[in-house]
Amino acid sequence: MALPSALRALPRSVAVYVLPPAIALAVILLFWEWYVGWRDISIIVVPPPSEVVERFFEDPGFFWRQGWYTFFEATLGLIAGTTFALAFAVLMSHSRPAERALFPLAIGIKVTPLVAVGPVLVIAMGFGTEPKVAMAALLCFFPTLVNAITGFRDVNAGSLEFMRSLHASPWQVFWKLRLPSALPYLFVALKITYPLALTGAVVAEWFVGNRGLGLVIYRANSNLDTPTLFAAVAVLALTGVMIYALVSLVERRVLFWHESVRSTE
Amino acid sequence: MAVANYHVSLNGLSHVFSDGRPLEALRNITLGVPHRQFLSIIGPSGCGKSTLLRLIGGLLHPTSGTAEVDGAEPVRAQRTREVGYIFQDPALLPWRTVLGNIRLPLEIGSRSRRGAPGAEELLDLVGLSEFSGYYPHQLSGGMQQRVAIARGLVFDPSLLLMDEPFGALDEITRQAMRYELLRLWEAHGRRTVLFVTHSVAEAVTLSDRVVVLSGRPGSVRADIDIELARPRTEETERGRPFRDYADTLRGLLKEAGDGVA
Repeated sequence: MALPSALRALPRSVAVYVLPPAIALAVILLFWEWYVGWRDISIIVVPPPSEVVERFFEDPGFFWRQGWYTFFEATLGLIAGTTFALAFAVLMSHSRPAERALFPLAIGIKVTPLVAVGPVLVIAMGFGTEPKVAMAALLCFFPTLVNAITGFRDVNAGSLEFMRSLHASPWQVFWKLRLPSALPYLFVALKITYPLALTGAVVAEWFVGNRGLGLVIYRANSNLDTPTLFAAVAVLALTGVMIYALVSLVERRVLFWHESVRSTE
Repeated sequence: MAVANYHVSLNGLSHVFSDGRPLEALRNITLGVPHRQFLSIIGPSGCGKSTLLRLIGGLLHPTSGTAEVDGAEPVRAQRTREVGYIFQDPALLPWRTVLGNIRLPLEIGSRSRRGAPGAEELLDLVGLSEFSGYYPHQLSGGMQQRVAIARGLVFDPSLLLMDEPFGALDEITRQAMRYELLRLWEAHGRRTVLFVTHSVAEAVTLSDRVVVLSGRPGSVRADIDIELARPRTEETERGRPFRDYADTLRGLLKEAGDGVA
């Protein structure tokens, strides 16, 4: 593909990964700006991007700080949820009775709606960071569990037989074979759960109401302050994108040996 | 039979798989393998060659009869790392380097044997020293199999079980690997080898003795000593005695139910 010389001057990673979405976004924003003006839509209903950007720059520090709180809660929740999920997965992948006993419980957790769980958590854990971390953790639990169990079981049959021929203990087989084999699955789970944890933290903030982007969104909604609402959502979205990019970056380095990473363009 | 002197001793060994419909894989195998013998096992597809190797390697427990390694249960030999196993699929761990893969058995074993060659030395022996830091996906099939062979030798086992190790390779690489193996075998003190193959030429080139199994359920159909001088070379393969052995074995294989050369 022939690129104009100015574009060719950019480093390749920027041109390939940043430019296309940036251009797509710009197109969308331009259309949005124009459409809102053309249809004369009230600022309370859908503000034009220019208003949102203006609101953001009135106090960018505020948005970043609230974003940081939400991100922090989500990350703690992710760590907690993933740890529990991995522990259960180890147990369940080694014992079919344990799997049969615990799987229905896991599904029960998955299916319970967030909005129902929120108040319960606050009642149980008070009005601090804990219920938000717990909410995020609950959301991360099931996808990680399912992926981990599959990953621990999906080992190369030849490698497993080889390790058995060496009289390897189940622990050795787990540590040297099952866990590394499961990493591709775990990264898939992470790409799903990290953004999910972010969502969980935001929703929990509606119930706890002390800080974070969720609170900003809630208040802005009550005050019909739509530009602030959109600004908060934009910051949230940006955080989600950055998280995903970070996980992908780490994945590419850790899974250098896996076909999924090697067979990219 | 002077059973105590055999490295591997099979007595009325039979095996029936019983998940689902019962499948009789092997029937009444009685065989004695002396130390340092290179024995090939050939037979039609599905005749139980791999099952036989698994029973000897302690990966399966026979339904009747016995398999003994050095007069004891195969599992004991497995535990004391007396047995090295090389499969058709090298099954190297893709997240480990070549050297890391060769070292894997050492990490699993509780102790390393005295005088056992180091991983680097084995790598050199199979001619892949420059590739120690490479990853399996960067190597060809033949190279991966060489790594698998080095890995199988790292414990310096006295018994090697090789299950169609060159089966997945192209003809030219197979040929080259055949002589590589012979070279290694001679250089490393001629340990006992049980070698399963589909290729008659391979069996004759490599072995001191060839056992032909019948079709399922596998039983011993023929047991032939290969009296060709060592070291064997491409020259040997062109000679009359070689071709006679090959013809005999092919004839026996055909009777046993498969026309593969």
